[in-house]
Amino acid sequence: MMDASPSRAALEANRISKQYRRKQVLEHVSLRVSGGEVVALVGENGSGKTTMMRICVGLLRPDEGTVHAAGQIGYCPQQPALLDLLSAEEHLMLFGAALGLPPAVAIETGRAILSDLRFRVGDPTHAGELSGGSRQKLNLALALLGDPSLLMLDEPYQGFDHGSWVSFWEHVATWRTQGRATLIVTHVLPDPTAVDRVVELTVPASVSGGKPR
Amino acid sequence: MSWTERVRAAVQVEGQQLCRRWRALLLLTVLPLAFYFASSGHNPQAPVIGGIALAFSLAGAAIFASLAARAVDHRLVLSGYRPIELLLARLLVLEGYGTAVAIAFSAVMIAKSDPARPGLLITGVVLVGIVAVPFGLMLGALLPSELEAVLVMIGAVGIQLTVDQMARVAKLLPFWGPRQLLEGALGTPISTAHAVETGLAYAAVLLAITFALANRRLRIASHARPTVQPPIA
Repeated sequence: MMDASPSRAALEANRISKQYRRKQVLEHVSLRVSGGEVVALVGENGSGKTTMMRICVGLLRPDEGTVHAAGQIGYCPQQPALLDLLSAEEHLMLFGAALGLPPAVAIETGRAILSDLRFRVGDPTHAGELSGGSRQKLNLALALLGDPSLLMLDEPYQGFDHGSWVSFWEHVATWRTQGRATLIVTHVLPDPTAVDRVVELTVPASVSGGKPR
Repeated sequence: MSWTERVRAAVQVEGQQLCRRWRALLLLTVLPLAFYFASSGHNPQAPVIGGIALAFSLAGAAIFASLAARAVDHRLVLSGYRPIELLLARLLVLEGYGTAVAIAFSAVMIAKSDPARPGLLITGVVLVGIVAVPFGLMLGALLPSELEAVLVMIGAVGIQLTVDQMARVAKLLPFWGPRQLLEGALGTPISTAHAVETGLAYAAVLLAITFALANRRLRIASHARPTVQPPIA
């Protein structure tokens, strides 16, 4: 299914720097994620994890540095990016069309993903009326639609119950064996083996007054 | 999947969302009717007031549609939509709705006010819709807050309603062309072609600004562009 080999970089970000107004958020941050690898992006609040993720995804331009990505990107933003007046299946059709999937295929594929994530499949409830955890599951399912080889997930389990959280990390292990490259912004790891590497971001020295780690 | 299929999918979704905002739409449709009926008993200019007031409804609907999708549009572009496809879908649905409401509203005003040139009244009210939708979309693209966007819209439409139409500022506002047509419908001599051209030109400029703003806001880095996407033409 995935063509990314474990040694090939699916995502490579080199010496990324970013300022918001005059505040340095990222300073010469580099990271690399290969096919079949899970990398956790961690750090305290304000350390620039989401900014780094948005730069890697391509939604934000860095002031310095370069990003190279291979393959299709599946992105799950921290805040669910959903249309409140649409049901889950209507979201699947809308995003499926962008990915070149006919409506029936988008729904069938999306239902399988949602079912895996313990979402009530076929629920006609509009996204705006779903619980926080269910919205996040739909948010994640849309990132997985189209079988992307590079997953970039920004705290994708917010609002999940414990069972769904455990199930999420089981899926991460499956994606690793499938050869997908996965970058996850996270605060909590179920165990150290759940990821291959941890990249820790710190508040840049120019802001904190200390030395970068 | 071709760009037409992506636009069709986006149109379907825009239509569904518009229908599901029916309460807001109902209120927005009642608003110009209220303006019209409040003045129709004593003011011969009532069709002009009602016609221009339709801009409140349609520009308002466009602002809400634009801002509701703000967070999702970037993600849709990352998935494979082009900004112009999303804008086109929104425009088609809102202009379709606007034209239907404009025709129905014109019929009400023609029946009650019996204007000298009913054809011009219909043209004027439809042109209000044609201009109001890109005006609302532009405000939605320019101002991230609903309140700010709505206040600017109310200001522009309100000034167009109240200011002397021969004043310089009136000619700079978006609904000068449609207003000329509505005045013409009541018997004032006007240049119909000039009024229509002015309205259409204004709509085209507003659309171009909206597209430029959307393109700038929704741009993604080259490494993130989906590789499998058929050409738009």
